[in-house]
Amino acid sequence: MEHASLASPAAAHAGMHADPSAHTPAPSFWPILLAGGMGAVVFLVFLVYLGVPLAGVLLAAAVLYTLVAASGWANTIAVERRHMDQVQTNKDLTRGFFFFLASEGMIFVSYFEYLYYSRFTSAHWPPAGMPTLETTLPAIATLILVGSSFTLNWAVHALLHGKKTAAKNWMLLTIAMGITFLGMQGFEWGFLNGVLGFTLTTGAYSSAYFLMTGFHGAHVTVGLLMLALVYWRMEKGEYNQQYHMSLKAAEYYWHFVDIVWVFLFFSLYLFQSH
Amino acid sequence: MSTHVATAGVTQPRQYHGVLDWITTTDHKKIGIMYIVFALINGWLGGSLAGLIRLNLYNPDWHIVSPALYNQLMTMHATIMIFLTLMTAFAGFGNYLVPLMIGARDMAFPKLNAFAFWLLIPAAMMLYGSFFVVGGAAADGWWSYPPLSTAQFSAGHGEDLWILAVILLGISSIMGAINFLVTVIDMRAPGMNWMKLPLFVWSWVVTAWMLVLAVPVLSGALFMLLSDRWLNTGFYRPALGGDPLLYQHLFWFFGHPEVYIMILPGFGMISHIIPSMARKKLFGYKGMVMAIWSIGVIGFMVWAHHMFTAGISASARVFFSMASMFISVPTGVKIYSWLASVWGGVIRFTTAMKFALGFIFTFVLGGLSGLMLAVVPFDILVHNTYFVVAHFHYVLVGGSVMTLFAGTYYWFPKITGRMLSEKLGSWVFWLFFIGMNWVFMPMHLLGIEGMARRVANYRIEFRPLNQFISEGFIFMLLAGILFTYSIIKALREPKTAGDDPWQANDIELHLEWATSSPPPAYNFAEIPEVD
Ligand code: HEM
Ligand SMILES: [Cu+2]
Repeated sequence: MEHASLASPAAAHAGMHADPSAHTPAPSFWPILLAGGMGAVVFLVFLVYLGVPLAGVLLAAAVLYTLVAASGWANTIAVERRHMDQVQTNKDLTRGFFFFLASEGMIFVSYFEYLYYSRFTSAHWPPAGMPTLETTLPAIATLILVGSSFTLNWAVHALLHGKKTAAKNWMLLTIAMGITFLGMQGFEWGFLNGVLGFTLTTGAYSSAYFLMTGFHGAHVTVGLLMLALVYWRMEKGEYNQQYHMSLKAAEYYWHFVDIVWVFLFFSLYLFQSH
Repeated sequence: MSTHVATAGVTQPRQYHGVLDWITTTDHKKIGIMYIVFALINGWLGGSLAGLIRLNLYNPDWHIVSPALYNQLMTMHATIMIFLTLMTAFAGFGNYLVPLMIGARDMAFPKLNAFAFWLLIPAAMMLYGSFFVVGGAAADGWWSYPPLSTAQFSAGHGEDLWILAVILLGISSIMGAINFLVTVIDMRAPGMNWMKLPLFVWSWVVTAWMLVLAVPVLSGALFMLLSDRWLNTGFYRPALGGDPLLYQHLFWFFGHPEVYIMILPGFGMISHIIPSMARKKLFGYKGMVMAIWSIGVIGFMVWAHHMFTAGISASARVFFSMASMFISVPTGVKIYSWLASVWGGVIRFTTAMKFALGFIFTFVLGGLSGLMLAVVPFDILVHNTYFVVAHFHYVLVGGSVMTLFAGTYYWFPKITGRMLSEKLGSWVFWLFFIGMNWVFMPMHLLGIEGMARRVANYRIEFRPLNQFISEGFIFMLLAGILFTYSIIKALREPKTAGDDPWQANDIELHLEWATSSPPPAYNFAEIPEVD
C-alpha cells in the first residue's frame, strides 16, 4: 500500500459524467426463491427418510420447483448478459466455474482419502470376503468415457470453425457415449449386486465402491443434462464464435468428470492386487 | 438509494421498496448488512445457550438442565457460534467492504451473493428446529464423531438435521468464497495491483481459498456419516471393516483450516485499524501478505494435532506437533508487525483501537496455550479438558470476536453514516475484556487439574472456580447488552459521520473512505484510478 494514491481524488465522489447507477446489478427474486427450494428439497429428503406420508410427492414438487427457479435464474442471466461486457463476464464465469470444480474435486478427494486410508491400514486388499472386481467391462467403459472427451472437443472445435452440422453430430455422439457409459455402469452395479452379492452394505469397502461410483455417476448425469441443453441451444443456433459460454462450461465439466473417472478406474479396478 | 430517472439509452433496473427491497437486493452492501444482522442475532441466541451452560455449571445440583439437554446446549452453542455467527459476521464485513476496498461497484456475481446469504435461512431453521424433534438437537459435540454420532448412539433425528444443515451451510460458504475470489481477481480498479491490495482483502482471498478447499471435505465426511445412519453403509463401522478414526482425519482436515477461516479476516481488520489509529503506516506490508499465505498453506498440514490421543502413529505425532509449532512463526510475524506499527505512533485510544490492542493481548495468550497443546506429552494430559476450552476461547473470543467488535466500531460510520458512542464503547470494551479474561483464564487451571469438557457435572472441588467463572459471564452479558443498545441508539441519530471520520486516508489511501458514508448504491461515481 506504500505508494497507493488516488489519481484524481474528486472523481471517486462527485464526477457526474454518466449515470453511475446504470452499473449496479438489478434486484432479483431468483436467489431467495432458489435458496428456499434447495432448503425445502433437503428438508423433504429428511421427511421422506422418516416416512412421513406425502413427503415423496412434496419432494418431487420441490425438486421441480427448484429446477424451474434455477432455469429462471439462468434465463435472467442470459438476458442481462446481452447488455454487459461479454468478454469480462465470460472471464468471470469461467473463473468462478473453475473454483467450483476445485471444490467439487475436493469432495472426491475426501472419498479417495477414505479409500486409500482403508487400503493402507488393512491387512488384505480387497478386504477379506470381498471379491476382486473384474476389469474388462469397466476398461471398455473407461475407453468410451475418455473417448467422449475427444468427441466433445471435436464438437467444440467444429462449432468454432462455423461447421454447425458437424458440431451437432459430434455432440450427439458424445451424449450417446455418455449414456452408454452410464448403461454399462448400471449393468456392472446389477451384476455386483445380483450375482456377486456385493452390495452397498456388504462392508466398508463395498460402501466406498458404490458411493464413489454412484457420486461419479450422478456427476455424469448432470454432465449429460448440460450437454443436452447445449445441444438444444445448438439446434436453435444460439452459439457463434464469440457467444458460447455455456458450451465451454459444459465442456469443462465433462472433462472434469472424465478425469475423476480415470482416477476412480485406477483406484477401484486396476490397483486391486494384494 | 438510487432514485435516478432513466436517462436516454440506459434502462434503469427496477427498484422495490421496503421488505421487498431487502429480499430482492443484489447490492453487496445490503447483503453485507443482512449477514451482519444475522450474525448478531445468532450471536445472541448462541450466547444465550452459553448462559444456560454457565448457569448449569454454577451449581449442577440445581439441575437447571438435564444432562441430556446439557449436551444439546453445548453442541448447538458451538455450531451456532462457528457457522452462524463468526463465519457469517466475517462474510458480512467481507461483502460490505471488499468491493469498496478494491474500487468495484459490486461483487462479480451479485445474485450468487444473495443466494449464499438466503441459503443460511433454511439451514438455521433446521438447526434451531432440531431442538423440537423427538430426542432433541444433536448432542455429540460440534465434531459429530462416530461412533457417538451413529444411529446406534445418536438415535434422535436432531443429528440428521444437524448433518443436513451443516451441508447446506457448506454450500453457502463455498458459493460465497467463489464470489470473493472472482471479485478480487477480476474487479480491481485500475492501478489496484496485487501488492497494493488492502490487507483485509488479502485475508479474504486466502480465507476464500481455504473455504473452497476445506469445506467440501467436511461435506464428504458428513455425507458418509449420513449414509452410515440412513443406508446402513459401513464407512465408519468397524464391524463392517470401516474406521471411525477416518472420520476424525476428514473432519479435522476441514476443522483446522476452519479455525483460520474464523480468524484471518479478523487479522485483516486489525491491520487496517492499528495504522489508522496509531497515525502511522502499517509496518511490513509484504511480510503480512506472506504471513497470511503461509498460515493458509501450513493450516492444511496440522490437522492431526487434534488427534494426538486418538491412536495415530508416533511419527504422525511428531510431524503434526512440529508443523503446528511452525505455524506460530507467521502468526508471530503478524503480531510483531502490529506492535511495530503501534510503536512510536500517536495513538488514539478509540474503542476500535482498544479492542485491537486488547485483541493482541488475548490472542497472544491463546497462541501460547496453542503451542503448549502442540506438545504431545502435554496434550495427552489435557486433551478434552477445560484447558482446550480455554485455548480455543482465547483465540475465538479473545481473537475473532474482539476483532469483530473492533471492526464494528471502526466501519460502523461507513456502513450507516453514524458514529457509535465512544463513551458507551469504552464500557463495552472494559466489560468485555475483563469478563472475557475472568471467564476463560481460570479454565486453564480447571483443565490442568483435570476437569473434563462437555460434561454437565464435575467433582465437588471444582465448584468454587466454576462459580467464579459463571459470575464473570455477567460482565460479558452486560457488554453484549450495551453494545446492542449502542447500535440501536446510534441508528436513531442523524448521519453526521462524514466520509472519513478516522482520517484514515491521511495515513494511507483506502478506497472505502474515499466515498460517502454510507456509500451510494453504485459505490463510486466514477471507478477510481489508483497509482
Ligand atoms: C499458535 C498456533 C496454534 C496452535 C499451535 C494450536 C494448537 C492446538 C491444538 C494442539 C489443539 C488441540 C487440543 C486438544 O484437543 O487436545 C487446538 C485446539 C483448538 N484450537 Fe488451536 N492452536 C493454535 C491457534 C489457534 C487459532 C488461531 C485458533 C482459532 C482462531 C484455534 C482454534 C482452536 C480450536 C477451536 C480448538 C478446539 C477444537 C475442539 O476441540 O473443539 N487455535 N489448538
Ligand atoms: Cu487445530
